[in-house]
Amino acid sequence: MSTIIKAINISKVYHKSTVPVHAVNNLSLNIEEGEFTAIVGPSGCGKTTLLNILGGLDQPTEGKVEVDGTDISSMKDSELIDFRLRNIGFVFQAYNLIPVLTARENVEFIMLLQKRNKKERHDRAMELLESMDIADKANSKPSQLSGGQQQRVAVARALASKPRFILADEPTANLDSSSTNNLLDLMAKMNEEQKATFIFSTHDQRVMDKARRIVTLEDGAIVSDVKR
Amino acid sequence: MIAIIAWRNVWRNKGRSLVVIGAMTVGIWALTFAGGFMQSFLTSYIESAIRHETSNGQVHHPEFTQDYDIQYNIKDYESILGFLKQSEVVESVTTRSLVNGMISSSRQATGVKIIGINPEEEAKVTALNTLISEGTYFEGISRNPVLIGNKLAEKLKVNVRSKVVLTFQDIEGNITAGSFRVAGILNASSVAISESSAYVLKSDLNRLLNIGDNIHEIAYTTVTGTDDEALANRIQTNFENDKVESWKEISPALVFMEQMMASMLKILIIIIMSALAFGIINTMLMAVLERIRELGMLMALGMKRAKVFLMIIVETIYLSTVGGPVGLFIGYATISYLGKVGIDLTDYSEGLEAIGYNSILYPLLQPMDYVQIVIGVIMTAFLASIYPAWKAIKLKPIDALHAI
Ligand SMILES: Nc1ncnc2c1ncn2[C@@H]1O[C@H](COP(=O)(O)OP(=O)(O)O)[C@@H](O)[C@H]1O
Ligand SMILES: [Mg+2]
Repeated sequence: MSTIIKAINISKVYHKSTVPVHAVNNLSLNIEEGEFTAIVGPSGCGKTTLLNILGGLDQPTEGKVEVDGTDISSMKDSELIDFRLRNIGFVFQAYNLIPVLTARENVEFIMLLQKRNKKERHDRAMELLESMDIADKANSKPSQLSGGQQQRVAVARALASKPRFILADEPTANLDSSSTNNLLDLMAKMNEEQKATFIFSTHDQRVMDKARRIVTLEDGAIVSDVKR
Repeated sequence: MIAIIAWRNVWRNKGRSLVVIGAMTVGIWALTFAGGFMQSFLTSYIESAIRHETSNGQVHHPEFTQDYDIQYNIKDYESILGFLKQSEVVESVTTRSLVNGMISSSRQATGVKIIGINPEEEAKVTALNTLISEGTYFEGISRNPVLIGNKLAEKLKVNVRSKVVLTFQDIEGNITAGSFRVAGILNASSVAISESSAYVLKSDLNRLLNIGDNIHEIAYTTVTGTDDEALANRIQTNFENDKVESWKEISPALVFMEQMMASMLKILIIIIMSALAFGIINTMLMAVLERIRELGMLMALGMKRAKVFLMIIVETIYLSTVGGPVGLFIGYATISYLGKVGIDLTDYSEGLEAIGYNSILYPLLQPMDYVQIVIGVIMTAFLASIYPAWKAIKLKPIDALHAI
């Protein structure tokens, strides 16, 4: 298996208040292809900051992140947008689907940005919605879907661009326990079937139990890294 | 898909969008209406000035217009008249003799322009007969009838059938006076007619001036749509000894008026368009601020800033162009309706007539005016969309995602 992400000695310091906050503190981490990894730890330990840096949404104050050997920490903003489109899938805590588009259109949208043709877009969108068990809601708007259903569409959307890896920051934080289980099982299935690499953060014990690797953070540093 | 998203975004906040669309509708309607109204104001003013005062064109001796010296009569007026009567675009022609003099009643005396006319021809050219408010158009007075304006009548404190005396110099420079009787009183919006003119029969005036059949002025009207300037030039080249002028040269004020109205309309357009632009900017800024998260998410997913920018612009243009056609249509309907029925300004007409307007207006817009309005609206919408769109792409995805 090859290494997709190499985070080397990254730090992120916020200077908003008088005391500097070390959200991420000299952290190094490798992610291999096909991983199903949970970043865990109490609120404020730096999970979101870490994922943002890995996803090229935020720059580390120090250190660098390489994705498939490319240093993304020094990329320009416009290059990063394009890089994210080609390499990274995102799932957000608040679902963040495009409210005016249907479930299928939301999944297609990302492929449209990648300039895929219409048939390919349509077929792949339907295929992914079926895999995520939400094909019957393909023509519904996000507002007509439950949180769990929306998040399943969001995962389908993240997979649509055939990204190198998918980042999900607390994807289940807004879901009840049955939706949480359901979503995690589907994600695990996609991990197996499509060899999709998932990195998700959580502070929920039941979610951690589904992960095959658990990276625990405390004050922006890794305190344990367990593979199962 | 951007077009679809933009279109659906317009309808996300229906209330707000409808307010903008409504404002757009009213704005465009106001614009078409104001345009049509002002246009008709102008047309009516110019038409009435041409109809009652300048006619479409006039001919004089080149020296005459400078000091009204009666010796400067039109030498070959007969051939000019022949030429005019032959022309297909000339409707009617009249001749006048003119002299400046004094008019006096038993109570008052004042300076006056004495105009010797042929009543029938004059009626065809200037419709002078329609201005009679009291008395008759030269009828019922057997010797030396005169028509004077209502203001002049007031000043002289005379009435129909009152006696007035006209005094002036004849061709030899002798002071001559003639006793005239008021046949009718003219009620005109034109100050020249109502305050300082006395119309007499040309035969009476010429006898007193001792100038035989000589005339000082030819006035003619043309059929609608005639290029009066070109016609005047054409006559001029044929009769070089005399001076031929179209209404534009006779009354530069009318031309100035035309230009002023055009500028006023432009200013009005700018005001209305700016108001619309601010409304659009405000609405779109709200729409952008409300969607900070969503826009941040789009950029996080990999939507290029240029596309986000385009999306906001397209959205704004949709928003603005939905109201546009509706307003344009209502404006068009209003103009067409009023163009037939007319706007009755009789209640305000005293003030208007004082400055020379008719009291019923028929608004009118040319197709080109509508096209201009449409282009103006789209341009406005486009310009107004730039700032909100720029705001949208200034967002950093990470900050935007965190904003709740
Ligand atoms: N934009 C920011 N400005 C200042 N401090 C921040 C910012 N984002 C996060 N932090 C701080 O960094 C630390 C880590 O935050 P975060 O990565 O959100 O943790 P987690 O996701 O594990 O709850 C916290 O102490 C938080 O207050
Ligand atoms: Mg977090």
